[in-house]
Amino acid sequence: MDSPPTLSDLAFHILLALGEGPSHGYAIGKDVEERSAGRLDPTTGALYQVLRRLAEDGLIVAAGAPPGVDSRRKYFALTSRGKRAAAHEARRLDALVRAARQRKLYPQRA
Amino acid sequence: MRLYRLLLWLCPAALRKEYGAAMEEMFARRLADARETGFRPRARLWRRELTSVLALAIAERWKLVSLGVRPRRHWNNLDAMHALAQETRHAARRLLRSPAFSLAAVLTLALAIGANTAIFAVVERVVLNPLPYPESDRLVVLDHGAASLNVGSSIGITSGLYFHYADRARTLDGAALYRSDDLTITGSGGPERVRVTHVAVPLAPVLRASPAIGRWFVEAEGRPGAPRTAILSHGLWLRRYGGSPSVIGQSIDLGGSPSEIVGVMPASFAFPETRVDIWTPELVDRSMGFGLWGYRAVARLRDGSTLERARDELNGLIAEIPQAFPADPIALGNTQIRLTSALRTLKEDVLGRVATTLWILLAAVGLVLLVACANVANLFLVRSEARQREIAVRRALGAGRLGITRYFLAESVLLSTAGGIAGIVLADVAVRLLVSVGPATLPRLHEIRLDAVTVAYTGALSLLTAILFGAIPLWRVRELGATLHENGRTNTASRSRHRVRQLLMGGQVAAALVLLVASGLMIRSFQNMRAIDPGFDATSTLTFGIGLPDRDYATRDAAVAAHHAIIDRLLALPGVTAASATTCLPLAGGCFANGVRIEGRVIEPGTIPPLAMYRAVAGGYFEAAGMRVIRGRAIDRADVEHRTPVALVSQSLASRFFPNQDPIGRRIASNRPPLRPGGAQPLDWLTIVGVVGDTPINALGEANPIPQLYMPMSIAGGPDAPRNSIIGPDVAVMSFIVRTASAPMGSLDTVRRAVDGVDPRLALAQVRTLQDTLDRAAAQMAFTMTLIVIAGSVTLLLGVIGIYGVMSYIVSQRTGEIGVRLALGAEPGSVARMIVREGGVVAGAGIVAGLATAFAGSRLIESLLYGISPRDPAVFASTTAILLAVALPACWFPARRAARLSPLEALRMD
Repeated sequence: MDSPPTLSDLAFHILLALGEGPSHGYAIGKDVEERSAGRLDPTTGALYQVLRRLAEDGLIVAAGAPPGVDSRRKYFALTSRGKRAAAHEARRLDALVRAARQRKLYPQRA
Repeated sequence: MRLYRLLLWLCPAALRKEYGAAMEEMFARRLADARETGFRPRARLWRRELTSVLALAIAERWKLVSLGVRPRRHWNNLDAMHALAQETRHAARRLLRSPAFSLAAVLTLALAIGANTAIFAVVERVVLNPLPYPESDRLVVLDHGAASLNVGSSIGITSGLYFHYADRARTLDGAALYRSDDLTITGSGGPERVRVTHVAVPLAPVLRASPAIGRWFVEAEGRPGAPRTAILSHGLWLRRYGGSPSVIGQSIDLGGSPSEIVGVMPASFAFPETRVDIWTPELVDRSMGFGLWGYRAVARLRDGSTLERARDELNGLIAEIPQAFPADPIALGNTQIRLTSALRTLKEDVLGRVATTLWILLAAVGLVLLVACANVANLFLVRSEARQREIAVRRALGAGRLGITRYFLAESVLLSTAGGIAGIVLADVAVRLLVSVGPATLPRLHEIRLDAVTVAYTGALSLLTAILFGAIPLWRVRELGATLHENGRTNTASRSRHRVRQLLMGGQVAAALVLLVASGLMIRSFQNMRAIDPGFDATSTLTFGIGLPDRDYATRDAAVAAHHAIIDRLLALPGVTAASATTCLPLAGGCFANGVRIEGRVIEPGTIPPLAMYRAVAGGYFEAAGMRVIRGRAIDRADVEHRTPVALVSQSLASRFFPNQDPIGRRIASNRPPLRPGGAQPLDWLTIVGVVGDTPINALGEANPIPQLYMPMSIAGGPDAPRNSIIGPDVAVMSFIVRTASAPMGSLDTVRRAVDGVDPRLALAQVRTLQDTLDRAAAQMAFTMTLIVIAGSVTLLLGVIGIYGVMSYIVSQRTGEIGVRLALGAEPGSVARMIVREGGVVAGAGIVAGLATAFAGSRLIESLLYGISPRDPAVFASTTAILLAVALPACWFPARRAARLSPLEALRMD
């Protein structure tokens, strides 16, 4: 099994959004926007471009929709590979944060 | 939403299938979210969402090209996408900073791309896919010509010949004959005249069409004596039965005979024409012998066979007619007219001249696009030169040629995309307009809409446009390396720098002139067509058809009495100055035709009597139709009532059958085959009492008028011939002409009540004015003329803007030089003349090129013209004059501005 691919900013946010359980395009978009405090506001096209890549790389899969929602809506869920990739990225960011702290660029935890 | 869906079509199919619906849903929700916000956030959302779909489409298609990329590369690709997106964003900012330039460019492109998209939508549906049947290019028309009559095609087929082919032809995979007429349907919703096509049962298998509900006919229903069945058109089903499926099995009264409805065809099925509302089986079989002309037939070519091979085979089968129909007098007669197969594709049959027309229109809007590109390229050139130094700095700092290319292409792609999107919106409006005013002769007219293929075409066109006008400044970049060496003070732009511009200007002039000449020729043709004397007076006349049901009006006397009753009531109406009836109106297409016998002339063995069209008329017909009786007298009411055996002949009949003789007093008869071979022919002789002017049969300006003869409706075919005899027209179906003192359509209600007074079950069919009929005959030419004139005017407008732009720019670049000239004592007038002369030379070169192109291409447009040579010198001269009249002022104004500069100002400006 090769190491998980490096994730773009938006891809990582999408994996984070799916961390709470299967979701669909519109809700993922909203979640990303809120979590990034408006810094990322992906359009439908941009979001689906990344969703498609993630699905191709096996980080997410299409999931069954709950009954009673718009039948066009498509749900996605994290795969174990996706979880690993997210963890990998979090570790990478964590290492960067630690490095920043060591160099006194970032305040210590209160 | 529709726009979003259209844009999604640009994405690869796999992506669209998997995520298209989900993306639409998400977009819809985001739109709903934005509904409460103001205009700006909503506009921003639209802009971002639409561009993101475009970006997605480009990115995904790009990926498709570079197959086999590892996942890791994908992310790099995404980075490249980001770089591209950034370049695009920067370009967008640069363009927004000069809104006037951007708006001008986008509007110009939108106009041209919109026109191209609209015409392409028509071409795509009408020319490329005129027939809604599978493998429709293998469908052929089994038509015939007769060498001895000098008729190449369109005499149709007989039932015997149809069976002859269907049984023997190996190149054909099924054939079906048909004929159409108008019948009255009665029942719920009142009586109505509808177009009925009687078809051989194999029609649906041959076309590979099937009913939307119910079933097609079975073979037993096509045999003589079978119970009557009918299939409805989608339109009639909705109109009279409210689209109810329970219509299947119901009975419909068709011209007096009840028929069982067995099916309903889909809306797209319009065979052989859109106005057909009912199909019934034609009851024919092989025992009926060779049969009569009056049928048409379609067939499907067998796989692997070609049109030429099939035509050869059918001509071989024609040679076998005497053996196949022994002792059949009609078959023997037909061997003498030297029958030939006029097999052609159904597509060719349906399209006719429309295809040529539409290709010419597409070429015309193509020229519009070229001129628009030239204009935008000009604007681009101006911008690029203004930024020469910026670009030179970029290059000096290490930007490669690729970077500079990206710099310009990002702008041009953005502009052309915006132009393309605006163009699609324009085209959508234009297509709706075309559909509502287009001539009814355009096949599938009402199915024309913007579809995926058209949008893809627009996309490709926009990209091509972007490259066309984006590349022109790039071409100039090559010389820019030297720019930094220059100290920045240049008095004149070099001549070579103007050459591109002058080339563009000359090209615009040439393209504009070509379209102007085409417009001029079309306008003159249209004028010629409208100036044709149709032989009747179209003002203030209402026409309508009435068909008497066989059951209630079985004899000719009963029919004539009913027609007289109607005419009497019409004449009694206030404001009606004349009223009469005929079996066949002018411009109504083919009427009853048969051979004419002339008393005292023997038919040589091996020849057949000449053909003529027969019309049975009521008294006062020529007066009501406004036709001129040139010699002798007209047919009056007394002739009809006393069954006087008289006839009027058309001028063409008189001159062809009685050259240099007086036809009045001569006797003629409708030909009738001998009762048995070699036996006597009982002929009903009619005495010619007058000569009338010719009227057109199918179209205005027919080259060879067909001989026509008119006789009293009480003796159609001969005093004793049965009403529906094959030697004269059937008077059960007549067209009425009512001439009124006021607007003819205003009296429609009273006319309808008058007819109801005679028999309330009678329906008025094809109610229109003779003027409508005349307009319809010229409708296609009017349509073509309008579109070409619009294309010509738009090109002229764009061309003038282009010339003005180029001249203004050249003047502004030469301000310094002009200042020096003025300071050294040049007359302002001579400076202005110099500028105009330079513009004039370029315009002159463009005019010469345009005239040469128009001259060389004249053959292409020839088929659209009427009564004018495609190289008509007056049109060439007048359009050139028009072009000069607008091009010279476009040169003159910038020149005058230059001449009015004070030398001091001019020198300071640089």
